[in-house]
Amino acid sequence: MNNKNISITREEIQAVLPQVIDIIADAIACDADKVRPDASLIDDLGAESIDFVDIVFRLQRQFKVKIPRGQIIEDARGDLSEADFEKGGVVTDAGVARLREFMSEVPADRFKSPLKVSDIPRLFTVETFCKLIIRQQRAGSAGSAGPAA
Amino acid sequence: MNTTEAMDPGLAGKVAVVTGGTRGIGRAIVERLAGAGMTVAFTYRGNAAAAAEVVAACPTGSVQGQAVDVCDAAACAAFVDAVVDRSGQIDLLVNNAGIIRDNTLAMLEDEDIRAVLDTNVGGAFNMARAVCPHMISARRGKIINISSVAGEKGGRGQTNYAASKGAINAFTRALAAEVAPRGITVNAVAPGVIETDMSREVREMAGEQARSRILLRRFGRPEDIAHAVWFLASKYADYITGQILHVDGGFKME
Repeated sequence: MNNKNISITREEIQAVLPQVIDIIADAIACDADKVRPDASLIDDLGAESIDFVDIVFRLQRQFKVKIPRGQIIEDARGDLSEADFEKGGVVTDAGVARLREFMSEVPADRFKSPLKVSDIPRLFTVETFCKLIIRQQRAGSAGSAGPAA
Repeated sequence: MNTTEAMDPGLAGKVAVVTGGTRGIGRAIVERLAGAGMTVAFTYRGNAAAAAEVVAACPTGSVQGQAVDVCDAAACAAFVDAVVDRSGQIDLLVNNAGIIRDNTLAMLEDEDIRAVLDTNVGGAFNMARAVCPHMISARRGKIINISSVAGEKGGRGQTNYAASKGAINAFTRALAAEVAPRGITVNAVAPGVIETDMSREVREMAGEQARSRILLRRFGRPEDIAHAVWFLASKYADYITGQILHVDGGFKME
C-alpha cells in the first residue's frame, strides 16, 4: 500500500502554499495570481526544464529540505517495482493508477493514455510541489541527522 | 558616455570563483580580477604557502584561498555554498584548474589518463554544476573555462590533455546553449604556449621549433590570458557566449 501522503492535510498545504506560489512565480517570472494550486507548471505556466532547476533549488533553500532528482515519481511509485511501473518508457496501467491515487491534486482528465514517463512532469501542479515539500520535511525530521541545510 | 563610464568593466563588488589559483595562469587571473575590484575565492590543490602568497599579493580582504580537490563533487558543492553564504552571490566562475601528464599514448598509464580527464573535465563539471543553480536563480552570471590550443590542434604526447581540452570546448558550447535563457554566458579561453611551470617541459622540449610556429614569435605570459578572462568577465563581453577565444599569439598548425 502506498500511503506516503495520505495523511497530508489541507492545513499543511495551506501553510506552505503562499511561499511555494511566490517561488514558482519568481522562477517562471509570471504573476503570482496565475500560479493557482491546480495549475500545471509546464502546460499552464510554461515552465521549462531550467525553471524546474530553479524552483527546486529555491524550494530547498527556503524550506531547508533536500529534494533528490526524480523524488516525486519515486514517491508515487512507492513499493511498485520499476518493471511494474513502466515498460519501454510508457507508464503501465498499474503505474497510472498509482499516479492518480498519489497525485490526487491533479484533475483526472489530465492523465492521458498512453502516458509516457517523460510526460509525467506535465502533470505536476503547484500543489504537487507543496505536498513534496511536506513529505521531505517529514522525512527530514524523522531521520536522525535531519535535513541538510 | 563619459570616459570613466567607458573604462568601467562593471566588475567592482562582484564575486568570482577561480579554480587552481596559486600558480601560473590561475594566479594571474586571481590577481587581475581582484585588481578590478572583485571578491575572489580561489581553490588550490595543496600548496598552502603559495596560496598565502597570492592572498598577500592582492588588495587586503579581497581574496580567499581554500584547498579543494576539484575532482570531488561534494567538496566543490560545499566550497560554492560557503562562498554564497559568505558573499551572498556568485557572479563569475573561472574553471582553470588543470594538470598535464604528457606521454605517447602507448606509454600512458591508466592513472595518467584518468587524472587528466578527472581534473580538467570532471573538475569543470563539478564546479559548474555547483554554481549553475545559483546563477540560474539570480538570472545572471558568467562561466569562463580555460581550454588550450591543444583542444583543437593536436600535439604529440598530449592525447589525454588534448582530449580533456576538446571536451572543455564542447562543454562550453553545450552549457552556453543550456543556460542562455537565464542570461548566463559561457565561454572559453584557449591559451597557446604560456610561460608557466606547467608548460616548462613542453617549452624546453619543443624550444625554438615551438616558437617558430607562433606568429608573434614569443611565448605567452599568464597576464595575456588574465586580460582575456577579464574582458570576457566584463560587461563589454555581455553579448558573447559559446565562444572559444584563442589567445595564442597566432599559433600555426604544422
